[in-house]
Amino acid sequence: MDARFTRGKSPVLERALGRPRSELSLAAFALLFSELVQYCQRRVASVAELQARLAQLGHHVGLRALDALVARERPGRRETKVLGVLLFVKGPLWRALFGREADKLEQANDDDRTFYVIEREPLVNTFVSVPRENSSLNCAAFAAGLLEAVLGASGFPARVSAHWHKGTTLMIKFDEAVIARDKSLEGR
Amino acid sequence: MAIFSVYVVNKAGGLIYQLDHYAPRADTEKTFSFPLDLVLRPHDERVVVAFGQRDGIRVGHAVLAINGAEVNGRFTADGKDVLEFLGNPANYPVSIRFGRHRLSSNEKLMLASMFHSLFAIGSQLSPEVGSSGIEMLETDTFKLHCFQTLTGIKFMVLADPRQTGIDALLRKIYEIYSDFALKNPFYSLEMPIRCELFDQNLKLALEVAEKAGPFGPGS
Repeated sequence: MDARFTRGKSPVLERALGRPRSELSLAAFALLFSELVQYCQRRVASVAELQARLAQLGHHVGLRALDALVARERPGRRETKVLGVLLFVKGPLWRALFGREADKLEQANDDDRTFYVIEREPLVNTFVSVPRENSSLNCAAFAAGLLEAVLGASGFPARVSAHWHKGTTLMIKFDEAVIARDKSLEGR
Repeated sequence: MAIFSVYVVNKAGGLIYQLDHYAPRADTEKTFSFPLDLVLRPHDERVVVAFGQRDGIRVGHAVLAINGAEVNGRFTADGKDVLEFLGNPANYPVSIRFGRHRLSSNEKLMLASMFHSLFAIGSQLSPEVGSSGIEMLETDTFKLHCFQTLTGIKFMVLADPRQTGIDALLRKIYEIYSDFALKNPFYSLEMPIRCELFDQNLKLALEVAEKAGPFGPGS
């Protein structure tokens, strides 16, 4: 950020935007995430509500992660095609957040609005063992909220949900307008 | 197959996790004719041998099965009292299986809290100042290793006396506990551990430790 704007009062913003070399402890993140889940669990009454809360928290993270990441990875360019933004999500976004790329990116056979990001073992679930009473809960709802915020802020509004399928699958359902726009772009 | 079981005891002495990895079964099944030359008597919930040790059947062994059907405490599988059944010459010849009875979960709880107290007594009895509690208990059939963490959790491993590398195994179990139990949002501290990932990783660690240790003639 130009020093004109911050006038030496914000060392964080005046640092260069280059890739940060620091690594984060998985244990520290896991303990924080565990407390996050417990915090939400104390305030909800059902599994669906808990997943919604986790998604909301992920939403906040996604919005903040997107700007800096795009400025680092794709300086001066913006994704305009659905496939482009999905490949960006699978590769650079996942790598920056979780240290590795997502395993698979698939499109639904019958529906051109639905895509799947599949991960056998998502990072957020590394230490989480869900008890049998709540076996439908998947804490990757946090990642789903994150992804929803990223896609929405990039101009591709969608609904993302987490499911137990081939490990963990994040199902992305784009809005009709997005697909229509994409088709008209291709037609040109 | 040299690690018999793992016990995890919390700060208050309650058993929060128990795994029987390998139990060397020393059962003996024999056919008997009337009259029985062993003296049997009821003890707690079981029928045990009181006198007449022979052929691998020792005093203290319980009646495990009659004619192939497992007994249910003091009663046979069809509900008849075991001692009455064996007192009736019409039921002979009969085949009875004797052996050391498996500990019930209540008994395990009691024994774990008893060890918790003995551990504390051990550190107080010691003539050296500032000594820890009981770290190893050795008998001729097994060795009990105990590791107490800074937070008061005790990890106990019962293994074959010849098995090496148990110290490293105890540290590894501590690591697995701190990963898959403490970082699990659904686990409450000091409560029984019911985490799948903890079970899976613990079994893997036990297998690795067994492969690394020396193979005894019995395994």
